[in-house]
This record gives sequence, C-alpha cells and structure tokens, in this order.
Amino acid sequence: MSNNWEMVIGLEVHAQLKTTSKLFSSSPNLFGSEPNENVNFIDSGMPGMLPVLNWACIEKAIKTGFALNFTINKHSVFERKNYFYPDLPQGYQISQFEFPILSEGYLDIDQPDGSTKKIRIERAHLEQDAGKSIHDIDPKFSFIDLNRVGTPLLEIVSYPDLSSAEDVVNYMSSLRQTLMYIDVCDGNMQEGSLRADVNLSVRKPGGELGTRCEIKNLNSFKFISQAIEFEFQRQIEVLEAGESVEQNTMLFDTNTGETRPMRSKEFSHDYRYFPDPDLLPVNLTDEQINQIKPSMEELPHDKMNRYINEYKIDKDISKVIIAEKENTVLFEQMINESDVTPKNIASCLVGDIFAFIKEKNIEVLSLLEFTKDITDLLKLISEDVISNKAGKEILPQVLEGKGKPNELVKKMGLEQVSDSSELEKIIKEALVGEEENIAKFQGGSDRVLGYFVGKCLKSTKGKGNPKLINKILLEKLKK
Amino acid sequence: MSDIDIKRISYLAKLKLPSEKEEFYSRSLEDIIQWVDNLKKIDTSNIKPLHNVTEVTVSIRNDNIEKNNTPEDVLKNSPERAQNFFKVPKVVE
Repeated sequence: MSNNWEMVIGLEVHAQLKTTSKLFSSSPNLFGSEPNENVNFIDSGMPGMLPVLNWACIEKAIKTGFALNFTINKHSVFERKNYFYPDLPQGYQISQFEFPILSEGYLDIDQPDGSTKKIRIERAHLEQDAGKSIHDIDPKFSFIDLNRVGTPLLEIVSYPDLSSAEDVVNYMSSLRQTLMYIDVCDGNMQEGSLRADVNLSVRKPGGELGTRCEIKNLNSFKFISQAIEFEFQRQIEVLEAGESVEQNTMLFDTNTGETRPMRSKEFSHDYRYFPDPDLLPVNLTDEQINQIKPSMEELPHDKMNRYINEYKIDKDISKVIIAEKENTVLFEQMINESDVTPKNIASCLVGDIFAFIKEKNIEVLSLLEFTKDITDLLKLISEDVISNKAGKEILPQVLEGKGKPNELVKKMGLEQVSDSSELEKIIKEALVGEEENIAKFQGGSDRVLGYFVGKCLKSTKGKGNPKLINKILLEKLKK
Repeated sequence: MSDIDIKRISYLAKLKLPSEKEEFYSRSLEDIIQWVDNLKKIDTSNIKPLHNVTEVTVSIRNDNIEKNNTPEDVLKNSPERAQNFFKVPKVVE
C-alpha cells in the first residue's frame, strides 16, 4: 500500500543549551534538582521582574551557526509568544519569531550507499523552555515544577527535505553529534536535552504536498521512528478511504506506539507574537561574531578526515571513534602521550578497550587516568617484550588500575623469550626426530612451518617470541 | 456590527466578560483600532521596521549563577501546594 505514497518530513529540534544559568535569569540550568529549587522571581513570572540576556546563549547560537553553515544575523529580536498553561507562569514564552539569530543553514547526512544528502535548515532561534507538569500523582490535580522554566533552547527548524524515518534518525543523530562536539548541548535525550517535533505529510511521488500533521515532543530515536511509521500509515489510510487529512497536532503514545490528535480545534492557536518590550534587539558586531570562531571545536567530519589523512587510520575505524566525542578525547590523549602509532592505538581502542567498556558498563572518560598505561602496554607489544596474546591478557588488569604494565608482565610471568640463543636451543630440540617433516618443508610444504612454530611455542609455554622463532626456524630448515 | 470577535479575544486573554458588556467592549476596541489605523495613512514602503526608538542593543550578563531566594519564597504565592510542587486543577493534553 505504502508503495504508492511517499512521506515528506520537516523537523523542529529543540536543543537545551549547555550553560550554567538560564536564558534570562541567574538561576541554575540544572536537571534533576528538587522541585522548584532552581526558580527565582523572574522564572516564576513575578510582576516587575526584568529578563537579562545570558551572553553564553548568544555564543552557543553563534557556534551552532558556524557548525551548521548558517547565516548569522547581526540583528535579531526577542518576541512574546502568548498562551496560557500552568507551567508557563509568565503567560508568554520569550522566543524569536520574525528575526531569528540564525537563517538558512544546512547539514549533510550520510546515505546508506555512501553518498551524502543535503538537509536544508530554514532557521534557528533562541527561546525559553517551559516548566514541567506532572499529571499522574493525583487524579484531580496537576503538580507543577518550574525548574525548567527559562532554560535556554535553540529551536532548529529544517526544511521538509527528509523522506523516511531513516533520514530523520540520521539527521537527528548527526545534529546531536555536532551539537555535542561544539559543546552547545549535552545531547542527553532521556533527560530531554534534545527533543524533536516531526511535521509529516504524504503525497504521490512528484505530486503536490499534502496536509501535514505535527507530532510533538519525541525524545528518543526509537519513538521518532515508530511515530513516523504509524503516522505515515494513518495518513495513507485516511486518503485511500477518500477522506482528507486534517491539519492537527498529534501526541505519540509510547505505550501503544500510536499517534492521536492532541489539541481541541475549537479555537485555533493564536500566539499574538509581538516584540518583548522588556528586551532590546540583539545587535551583534562582526567583531563579536568573529571572536568566537577561534574557539570552535573540530567538527566530527573534519576530525574523521584528519584521522584518515594524518593518522592513516581506516575510514571504518575512524567512523567508530568519532561517533561519540568522548571516544576522541580518550583516543587523542593516548596519541599525544606516546609514540605508539595511532593505528595501533586505534585498533586496540575499537577492539579490546570498547569491549571492556561495554562489558563493565563504564564511562569512556573514566579510562582517561589509564591512557599512559595503555600506551605503555602497546609499546611492550610493539617492542616484542610481550606477545599480542599476552597483551590482551594484561589489558583488562591495566584498565582496572591493577598495576603498571611492566609490573603486570613480571607478575603474570608473560615476558616473551626473545633471547635467540635460548630459542635456538629450543628449536634444535624441537627438530629432533622430525626428519620426515623437514623433508616435506624442503619439498615445498609451507604448512609444516606452522606446525614447527606451534611446537616451539608450546615448549616455551607460549612465551617464545613467535617472530624470532619463525626467523630462526627458517634459517635452520633452509640449510 | 464590528469585525471584532469579542468572545475569542476574551478567551485568549482569559477574561470573563458578562454578556451585556460584550457590545460595549467590542465598540471600545473597534474605536482604538480605528484610531491606530491612522498610521496606515503614512507611506512606509521605504522605511525599515523599527523595534526600538533607541539604537541601544540589549544588555547582557555573564553566565553565572546567583541564588537570592528559596523555593519557599516562590511557593508562597501559590494558592495550593503539595510538598514543593504547585498544585493546580488538572490540565491534561
């Protein structure tokens, strides 16, 4: 059925800015405090209190502007968006409407076939978050916590350039990654630091745009995908039944996986925007904007290219590392602290270290204190003091802080035998009574070599240096 | 009859108007709007919108925390509370 229809999606993403205080007040911008702990008289909408703009929010907006290829507007205006709701004590949300701080940006997202797709972004503007209403404690009353009131948000509004749930998830995760890299947002979707409103309509390929519905407040990739798939089917069913889609605001029910209309249509919303008389326009100078440029962190894509070109790391491995900013912090600290090749560090990181992190369910950055030990261990391997296998055995001990690599090597008795005279003795013994196999080797069977290496390793209890054994063996056998 | 939907406006403003006053407020608002409409007589096609008569830009502050009140101070203003929450008639979307 859905083969004949395509979906057209635009996204409004609300990113909470990672600041110490709120957008217009000096209350802490903190998640998880006691109810109404972070509320002052500005946040609670007391008469006569005046908002004062937090410069850090402007800085973060400008950084986002650079990262997402926006035009950074030197003139922007805060306006009042008027509506009544108990978790909005002012009776209006201070937002930007006609003159947002950022216009016309874009983000390239990766496609499964390796190409990229450009998603155009119409605008991004600063606004205040509202408080939280809790409806499920009491059957007759709602409980209001105003801690979130006034939290700075950057609302990032895309054009309807997305055409599948995968597109949306790609766009959203790439956006999240970028905002986390530039330290604008902590990206914690569970805590609501990043939430999306999905605008979806359906049409016949190439046909005119249909009527859209907006699904509000989705805060996980799973819910975003589910909501899109459900709403897509729902609209198709409506249209195929010969009816028309009604423009509606929808809620996604996380229990049933279904969308349903949210607001009564009795009165359509009328926000009556007007410039906030408490706030003058934001007029930025070129100097103020350009001052922020040098403090820009390296963006994910640039970092990946640097890993590939400068460090000679495979694209796939680079991709795994840059997926989360904290991986790159750990990785780059190891590179800066040692002369082990980045390639060796990278393969150990995405292999054994990531496996350890997953198994123990620990924070990536908790390993920062062991980076020197990790690279010391890798050095012991590359210098043939221990074997690769021994390194794998020692690594978890190092990551748990149980000792320095060289101590652990001794303690665990894993030092490699690299003394050639000793190895020669062992090899000589191993070749006794093997005339038949020696003849086979000299007759051209390479497989016998592996058998001999194995035999020698066994008699060194695995501690013989395999490279050296190989070398000496070849010399002896070729005689 | 005026173009003003006084019922809708009072709804949006959360004001309860007695029905016998609707006509009065409708007319008053109409008068105000007509008076403001005088501005339309001026040709503004070459004039940029002005949001503030001063050329001053918004005042800003640094990103620091200041706490000058307790939750108790804020909750004092609530008609009803439950622990440290405001308690309001049920609102569910």
